[in-house]
Amino acid sequence: MKDLEQLELRISQFLRIGVVAAGAMMLMGIVATFKLSGDPFFNFQVYDQISLKELLELHVKNGQYGVLISYLGLITLISLPFIRVLLTAVLFLKQREYLLALISSVVLLGLVVSFTLGLEH
Amino acid sequence: MFFNIDIRYAIAASLISIIATSSGAAASFLKDHLTNLRLAVLLELGTVGGAMCGFFISSKINASGLYILFGSFLLFSGVMMLRRKGDTHSTVDHPWSQRLKLAGEFLNEKGVIVPYKVANVPLGLICMFFAGILSALLGIGSGIFKVLAMDGAMKIPMKISSATSNFMIGVTATASAGAFLLRGDIRPEIACPVSVGIIIGSWTGARLMPKLPATTIRKVFVVVLMIASVQMLLKGFST
Repeated sequence: MKDLEQLELRISQFLRIGVVAAGAMMLMGIVATFKLSGDPFFNFQVYDQISLKELLELHVKNGQYGVLISYLGLITLISLPFIRVLLTAVLFLKQREYLLALISSVVLLGLVVSFTLGLEH
Repeated sequence: MFFNIDIRYAIAASLISIIATSSGAAASFLKDHLTNLRLAVLLELGTVGGAMCGFFISSKINASGLYILFGSFLLFSGVMMLRRKGDTHSTVDHPWSQRLKLAGEFLNEKGVIVPYKVANVPLGLICMFFAGILSALLGIGSGIFKVLAMDGAMKIPMKISSATSNFMIGVTATASAGAFLLRGDIRPEIACPVSVGIIIGSWTGARLMPKLPATTIRKVFVVVLMIASVQMLLKGFST
C-alpha cells in the first residue's frame, strides 16, 4: 500500500512539474514573438486550414524560432495527460489489478487513435 | 469572442487551457485522496470515445451551428448552477462497481469517514460519451455534465464527483486537442497567452477561493454565463 501512495504522489509531482515546464516554454515563446504594433489576432478572424506539418515548415523557413518554442510547450502540455494514463496503467499492473490495467491501456490506445484522426483531415 | 477570432481557433486554444487547469488541479486532488482513480480510468473510456466522435463532427459542422450549441450550453449551465440540492447517496453497489471495486470512502468537513457506493455504471458511461462529444465540439472540459452524471446517475457524493471530474477533463481534452494540433487548428499565438494566463489565474483563484463565500462566487459566475450565452446565441443566429 505504501508503494502505491508513493506512486500516486510521484504522478502528482510529475503533473505539477510538467505544467510549470510547459507554461515556461509558452511564456518564452510569447516574449520572443511579442510585437507592439497591430492586432496580433488579425490573421485568425477567418478560419484557414493548414496542417501542423506545413505550419512548422513555414516557421522554420522564416526562422521564427520563438513560435517553435511555443509549439514545444503546447506539445509538452498535451502529452501530460497521455503520460498520466500510461503511469496509471503501470500503477494498476503493479497492484495486479489486471482488468483496470487493461482499461487504462484501452484509454491510451483511444488517445493514439484520436490523435491520428487529426492527420487525416 | 472579444477579439473576433474564428470560433474554431478559439475552441482549439481553449482545449489547451483545460489540460493546463486539469493537470494542475489533478496534482493537488490526488494528494487529498478525493479523486477516485479507478472510477476515473473506467469513465475515461466513455469520454475519450466521445471526444473522437466530437472531433469528427467538428469538421462537418459550421461556425454558426457551434455558436448556437455553445450558447445553449452556457444557458443550461447557468440554470443548473442556480439549482442547488443536497448530496446524493446510493445504498446499492452496481455489479460492475463491485467487480472493479469502485466504491470508496472520504473524509467530510466534520472529519467523519463517509463510505459511498457507485450505482448505474453503464448509464454513467453513456453520459460520459456525450460529455466527450461536447468537449471536443466546444473546447470545454464539460465538467458540469460529468459531475451531473456522477451525481445524478451514479449517486456519487459531490466532493468525489468534482475531484474525479477535474481529473478526467484533462484526458478528455487531450484526445481532441492532439487531433486539433496535428490538423493545425491550435495556433500558439492564441493558445499560449490563454494557457499562461490560465496557469497563473488558477493559482491566484485557488488562494482567493477560501476567502470568498460560495454564494458570491456562484452569483458572479451565473451572471457571466448568462451574458456570454446571449452573446453566443445572437452571433449564431445572425451569421
